[in-house]
Amino acid sequence: MNAVECSRESDVLDAVAAARWPDRLPPDLAAHVAHCTICADLAVVAQALSADHDAAWSEAVVAPSGQVWWRAEMRAREEAMRTVSRPLTVVEGFAAAAVVAVLAAVLRVAWLWRGALWPRALPMIGPLEAMALGAVGLLLVVTPVVFYLALSDE
Amino acid sequence: MFARDLTVTDLERLHAVADQAVDRLQMDEETFRAFYDRTARAVWTYAARVTGDTAAADDLLQEAYYRFLRADRPLEDETHRRNYLFRIVTNLLRDRGRRPRAVMVQVPGDHEANALAAPDDVARETERRADLARAMARLKRRERELLWLAYADGRSHDEIASALGVRKGSVKIMLFRARRRLAALLRQVPTAERTR
Repeated sequence: MNAVECSRESDVLDAVAAARWPDRLPPDLAAHVAHCTICADLAVVAQALSADHDAAWSEAVVAPSGQVWWRAEMRAREEAMRTVSRPLTVVEGFAAAAVVAVLAAVLRVAWLWRGALWPRALPMIGPLEAMALGAVGLLLVVTPVVFYLALSDE
Repeated sequence: MFARDLTVTDLERLHAVADQAVDRLQMDEETFRAFYDRTARAVWTYAARVTGDTAAADDLLQEAYYRFLRADRPLEDETHRRNYLFRIVTNLLRDRGRRPRAVMVQVPGDHEANALAAPDDVARETERRADLARAMARLKRRERELLWLAYADGRSHDEIASALGVRKGSVKIMLFRARRRLAALLRQVPTAERTR
């Protein structure tokens, strides 16, 4: 396996950090870098990135710490409140589904019993009138629920 | 929950829960602000140079500090906190998962331009940054992270391993390969200069 490091890497990095690269290098280091590909690569990369770091540092405009804290605090509060209110939303959804299921069951039973109840309870009402009556009844039940759900979104 | 169904008790309970969430943050405001002031620029430059996108760096900065504050593990000292923060940024960069959007080159500002000796220096500096940005854009995200942390930020192999979530033993070889690639790219003469 080829070597992946050189014992003089730290000297090269020091020279780059101290802005001695490439003009004010000690002669022995300059001679070493001329023959060591690891150090030559290191010098090229470290010099470019070090200069770019200085440029990036000066162009960096970060948000004030107070603003970052305030946003984080707000978000933590919001997420905590949302987590707490989630079970209630699930329960409400479950309750609404149960109401719909009960209503469907009642209608089904009423439909099955219609033959037995019809002649005695409503002898004068035909099937069309009975359906209209059922629709009105359903409207009376559903309308307040719809209004409640619509207005509760405010 | 419907807003009009809330009782005073519900509201008090919600406020208490929200207060607890703030109490559970990693540090109090004063400590956080001091830590942020020490680290934010390093985080921003890291994110900006790895993504090649300053707007993305702004977003990553806010998100990284939020996740840091919500960390549920004890962070004993400054080094641990700093490494953990960079680990979060690295994970966010990975999740973002895109190559640099464009080669980002900033022309030196007035202050920097004044520090340079002549207009030729400004042009040379801009060209040098463009070369580096182009070369960085051709590297893999992991290579950009490694090189930036090692040679721009001056981190040790231990810190790099911790920030990137890799074994310390792997850092040396990964860094060697990334360095060799970047050096080769930087040595290539730009097309515009070749045709002059």
